[in-house]
Amino acid sequence: MSGSLAWAAAVGDALADGGVDVAAYLPDSRLQGVLVRLAERGVAMRCLTREEECVGYAAGRALAGGRPVVLMQCSGLGNSLNALGSLVVAYGIGLPLVLSMRGTLGEANPAQVPIGLATPALLAALGVPVYPLRDPHGGDAASTVGGVLTLVQRAGRTAAVALEPELGGGRGAH
Amino acid sequence: MAVEPTDVAAVVLAAHPHALVVAALGTATSALRLASDDGPHLYLGGAMGSALATALGVAEAVPERTVVALLGDGELLMSANGLWSVAAYRPANLVTVVLTDGLYSITGGQPLPVDPCFADVAGALPGLTAARVSDGGNLRDALLELPRPALVEAVVRTGSRPGPSPFVDPGTVRTRFTAALRATAAERQDTGQEVVTCTADR
Ligand SMILES: Cc1ncc(C[n+]2csc(CCOP(=O)(O)OP(=O)(O)O)c2C)c(N)n1
Ligand SMILES: [Mg+2]
Repeated sequence: MSGSLAWAAAVGDALADGGVDVAAYLPDSRLQGVLVRLAERGVAMRCLTREEECVGYAAGRALAGGRPVVLMQCSGLGNSLNALGSLVVAYGIGLPLVLSMRGTLGEANPAQVPIGLATPALLAALGVPVYPLRDPHGGDAASTVGGVLTLVQRAGRTAAVALEPELGGGRGAH
Repeated sequence: MAVEPTDVAAVVLAAHPHALVVAALGTATSALRLASDDGPHLYLGGAMGSALATALGVAEAVPERTVVALLGDGELLMSANGLWSVAAYRPANLVTVVLTDGLYSITGGQPLPVDPCFADVAGALPGLTAARVSDGGNLRDALLELPRPALVEAVVRTGSRPGPSPFVDPGTVRTRFTAALRATAAERQDTGQEVVTCTADR
């Protein structure tokens, strides 16, 4: 089960250890273990209705002094571009994003491929760096997530972690 | 009968003088800037469809403050899904005020293709209260008396937008808003003013 994957627990722990106090998300099978861990760690969980809404919500919380994280499948990046560009980037709000990658290595669903392939370019076009996680044992989780949180909290930048297919989990049809 | 958008903003500020207001692009921002003498509110110069979500985030971050989402009707049509999130998490300090003029005003006055019936929709959702008002007195009563989270749909006079305001500078808006948030919090502690409590993080 994805809920017991080592990397997922390590990502959830790294976010909680880094002071994240609320998670705005839409469900995704590979994210599930991370979401479970965040909830176990006492992070407030906000399942919202659309990724653009997650970004707006997190922007509001961050502006008011909170420490949000946004988690989504990369398809949801397509749903959130205007909020990212016209609100988060334009207003200089740093947000950490966690993107579960679909449409890349090993993808079987043709409908997932175009946005999956476009994800790095979409982020790059907005000036948002993205750092991949690939170790199923979670060996890269603490340093990568911690580094992203430093970029956000200290440098005031928005930055993303990509949960790559090599992690396993969530390789089903959704 | 219908009110002017700037009067709506003025009534909101009079009813909730310490509120943090998140204003969507368009008339909401122009009216609030006029009514508040360009006060330190969160004006979204763009990001159409993100103002309600942003206000929800602010509201949950500062449960002791009244937070107002001031929205155009086109804005809320683009983000009506957010009403379901308000119903889900029910911040007791959030009031949504919609300027219903039936138009996409600032893009040339194109009519909304349907009456959005926001008060009916919000009133049907669990945990939300709602009212549709068309004069200042009823607006004030609704703002003060509706249990929260509340949505107040203010029917504003068509063609009554206060004109364009100069584009907001995002960095300035952000700095002023965060400073106001900190300052007013300290001031309120000093004066012991009424504090609205809400159940944190359900
Ligand atoms: C995502 C997006 N779509 C369209 C626009 C163009 N646009 C700017 S304001 C506006 C109308 C807003 O209507 P409403 O919220 O009712 O405010 P009003 O102009 O009536 O005050 C539109 C369509 C935009 N800025 N962004
Ligand atoms: Mg309108």
